[in-house]
Amino acid sequence: MATIATSLNIATQRAVITSKRQPARLACPVRLNNPWNLGSRTTNRLVSFRPVKATPEGVISDKVEKSIKDAEETCAGDPVSGECVAAWDEVEELSAAASHARDKKKDSDPLEEYCKDNPETNECRTYDN
Amino acid sequence: MAVSTIYSTQALNSTHFFTSSSSSKQVFFYRRQTNRRFNTIITCAAQQTVVIGLAADSGCGKSTFMRRLTSVFGGAAEPPKGGNPDSNTLISDMTTVICLDDYHSLDRTGRKEKGVTALDPRANDFDLMYEQVKALKSGIAVEKPIYNHVTGLLDAPELIQPPKILVIEGLHPMFDERVRDLLDFSIYLDISNEVKFAWKIQRDMAERGHSLESIKASIEARKPDFDAFIDPQKQYADAVIEVLPTQLIPDDNEGKVLRVRLIMKEGVKYFSPVYLFDEGSTVSWIPCGRKLTCSYPGIKFNYAPDSYFDHEVSVVEMDGQFDRLDELIYVESHLSNLSTKFYGEVTQQMLKHADFPGSNNGTGLFQTIVGLKIRDLYEQLIANKETAPAEAAKA
Repeated sequence: MATIATSLNIATQRAVITSKRQPARLACPVRLNNPWNLGSRTTNRLVSFRPVKATPEGVISDKVEKSIKDAEETCAGDPVSGECVAAWDEVEELSAAASHARDKKKDSDPLEEYCKDNPETNECRTYDN
Repeated sequence: MAVSTIYSTQALNSTHFFTSSSSSKQVFFYRRQTNRRFNTIITCAAQQTVVIGLAADSGCGKSTFMRRLTSVFGGAAEPPKGGNPDSNTLISDMTTVICLDDYHSLDRTGRKEKGVTALDPRANDFDLMYEQVKALKSGIAVEKPIYNHVTGLLDAPELIQPPKILVIEGLHPMFDERVRDLLDFSIYLDISNEVKFAWKIQRDMAERGHSLESIKASIEARKPDFDAFIDPQKQYADAVIEVLPTQLIPDDNEGKVLRVRLIMKEGVKYFSPVYLFDEGSTVSWIPCGRKLTCSYPGIKFNYAPDSYFDHEVSVVEMDGQFDRLDELIYVESHLSNLSTKFYGEVTQQMLKHADFPGSNNGTGLFQTIVGLKIRDLYEQLIANKETAPAEAAKA
């Protein structure tokens, strides 16, 4: 049961990672990861993936880049003004946030994330006895 | 932790709330026992919250320290479930970590308009900080604002329950005198400029848009405010972890090997400094030799009493890196007063988090040791608070 779940996870990986709280939904027709008919998978193009939204790290990275440009522009005028200092402080804050987001992403495992919110589903059952 | 003492007394007609001198809330429950001649009153002291303050500049290892600290107490600290996903708070069984950025009075646009940095006290609401830390310390839950680092706005508040151990980490835990008096223990992470530059390069070079010049400009721009507002807090700290470039490699500019000094204030209640070989003497120790082989550049330890901002302190210093497990265990077996519960606990904690930055040098070692010292302080404080009401009852 678990292996089917993980292989389905791989097949629809993009959809799982980008969706916030919905479990992985399969687009019809259901595609099983059976090696004997892998060849036929590429011929059927009815499957369409959910459009990929900008990931949170992408959002923060864009903000970092933009804030650096802003800071350089502000400071080109007057390097010791309060605005210049505040602009570079903003760069620092956003860089820290970006680095935290990267660390969080590095640690996170999509299956663990899903199971934290939905421990009663089949994929997340644990049998300890 | 609830402490209950049972008193027997003659007729008392009403139930009432009574605050004792040890500032714990005691609740009297009155129960009439018809088959006894006297009435039984049970009192329970509310849980005592221990407050720890941790100060450091941004990008200086506060999060790593937090993870090590919560791990010493057991359990992983996680953001509150079901709340704002951008919350900065971490909650585990025994500890709650509050980020002081949540007490910003100005959000990002506000600071830009006024031209102040987050380091400036004008951007922070110290009154609210003091009120809420005082409330949590007395066992009252608070609605704490959330500062969203992604959007730069102040979000709706979240409810924080009083924990057993409250850690406040940020730029200004020791800035305000009232908040400083509430802290049971305070730590300052003092990173030298060269090391800070090297760490920020490591952190930010992977970011699109950053270059060496922009990182340098960012540090330079913040330096005046940092020196004026954040740096002076180190004189109030009970423990300072100072990170400097190594002295073992001449002309080193890589910044991989670090010299880390743990400066511990003498005379702090419930805190006994770590020492090497003989307390109060000056010791210089190179563990590498016949019994232990180390690779270049090796390890060097120093221990000495010193004076820091007119306080008596003890300083343990480590220069170099750990390459192997047995180096770590060898060093641990020669340090004294570590407050470990069993032999090898420091090594075990370091290995548990071998992937954290600084796990192979003095930063990880001293952060772990400070974590154990805090645990020891917490246990002593709780034991002391338990005996105090019992003594009051006997008197």
